[in-house]
Amino acid sequence: MTPLVPVSPARKVAYGIAFFIVFTAVWSVATFGGFVSKTFLADPVTMLREGYDLFTVHGFAKDVGMTVWRVLGGFVLAAVLAVPLGIAMGAYKPIEAFFEPFVSFARYLPASAFIPLLILWAGIGETQKLLVIFIGVFFQIVLMVAVIVGSTRRDLVEAAYTLGAKASGIVRRVLLPNSAPAIAETLRLVLGWAWTYVIVAELIGASSGIGHMITDSQALLNTGQIIFGIIVIGVIGLVSDYAFKRANQRLFPWAST
Amino acid sequence: MSKLIIDKVSRVFPGVRGGAVTVALQPTSLTVADNDFITILGPSGCGKSTLLRIVAGLDTPTSGRVLVDGVPVTSPGADRGVVFQSYTLFPWLTVRENVSFGLREKGMPAAEQQHIVQRWLERVGLAGFEHHHPRMLSGGMQQRTAIARALANDPKIMLLDEPFGALDNQTRSLMQELLLSIWETDRKTVLFVTHDIEEAIFMASRVVVMSARPGRIKADVPVTLPHPRHYTVKTKPEFSELKARLTEEIRVEALKAAVAV
Repeated sequence: MTPLVPVSPARKVAYGIAFFIVFTAVWSVATFGGFVSKTFLADPVTMLREGYDLFTVHGFAKDVGMTVWRVLGGFVLAAVLAVPLGIAMGAYKPIEAFFEPFVSFARYLPASAFIPLLILWAGIGETQKLLVIFIGVFFQIVLMVAVIVGSTRRDLVEAAYTLGAKASGIVRRVLLPNSAPAIAETLRLVLGWAWTYVIVAELIGASSGIGHMITDSQALLNTGQIIFGIIVIGVIGLVSDYAFKRANQRLFPWAST
Repeated sequence: MSKLIIDKVSRVFPGVRGGAVTVALQPTSLTVADNDFITILGPSGCGKSTLLRIVAGLDTPTSGRVLVDGVPVTSPGADRGVVFQSYTLFPWLTVRENVSFGLREKGMPAAEQQHIVQRWLERVGLAGFEHHHPRMLSGGMQQRTAIARALANDPKIMLLDEPFGALDNQTRSLMQELLLSIWETDRKTVLFVTHDIEEAIFMASRVVVMSARPGRIKADVPVTLPHPRHYTVKTKPEFSELKARLTEEIRVEALKAAVAV
């Protein structure tokens, strides 16, 4: 191996698949070989069978649908409010000075610690789930967008001024288009975090969703279902991340490296 | 008639963390006639870029003032087109959209914009590259686009800050010829900053030599070589004489700058 030398696309895929083969092999040896008790870790075959049962017998598709809906709902709500605020903060320093200390503080408040309070305020319905995700991602998006917009190349801004642009033109025609690809990448990253928060929200006080299924399975010591649920989350995450990435490349061809 | 008046303009940068202040530019005065092509020649760090930025309105003088057509400069504006040394094309816009940036800002109808943009792209030799994005262009092509972008706005003055500094020698010579031929046709007032002596003489009707920091104008040398100038003018005795004289002027300043550092 030589540092930084790229691999061919075919090899790249092969290496990626190889990891999952090795992972499954280790898992199989540990479970089928009797090194780990079935109570604590189901083997791969049991896991798949349990997964099949989940969809055919227990109506797991509805749980998956609920979870996806919550993630998207909370994420879109947060993004719609956070992106404009972040842009305003990045572009106008007085606005940044006003909000930045509070947002920096709020960013460190753990969303999961708000769950008891949110249950008290919003009950155990959908509003509470959306709020957990909202609190978890809103402040992060605001700060990251503000940094992106604020770090726009000064010489591009100066060039626009010398071409006759005024303040609003600078924001609309330089800061926004220049920051758009990085903002889209930030949203892609944060969508991943939203998945973490939704599961946490569903572990407590939920009657549907992947997280709810996982808590139920824990009570029944059904590790196969738990692992299957976790894998489903991973797969959805992978697919949505890939879709997001492709959409960004299509939207901003000039930015791709 | 004077297009541009630089009246006792100075620039002092405050010291960093209580350190000594930096005098980038001593009070400097310069009058530029309409249709003149002035090159400002000086060693690096002599404040020539600072002077240009002040004329552009991107920097504020500590004292003195700048007048364009008798109107004081307070901020950047479309009447002073600037070409920077760094590549400042907007990466998200195509070549055509970059060149029409200023026209769109003025609210010009799209058809009229296209007409002007197409004409300038042809003049800088970029017809056929309208739909390319900047990252697909070479450095020379990017700077040609930047020149077209500034000229499309029809500014009163063109300000160029070592625009060919990052280009290789051959490209640089071709760009000088291109810019000079545009000037010979349009006679737009130009202020061109450079540290390259040949470049300064080849295009200018006047070479203004600046001293090492703190910058001030040290010499003002008219260049009377006839127009249109062909690149072969660089081998003429008159050119060589000027070059020898300016080399001497600059060398003294470069030595001072080297000692100061």
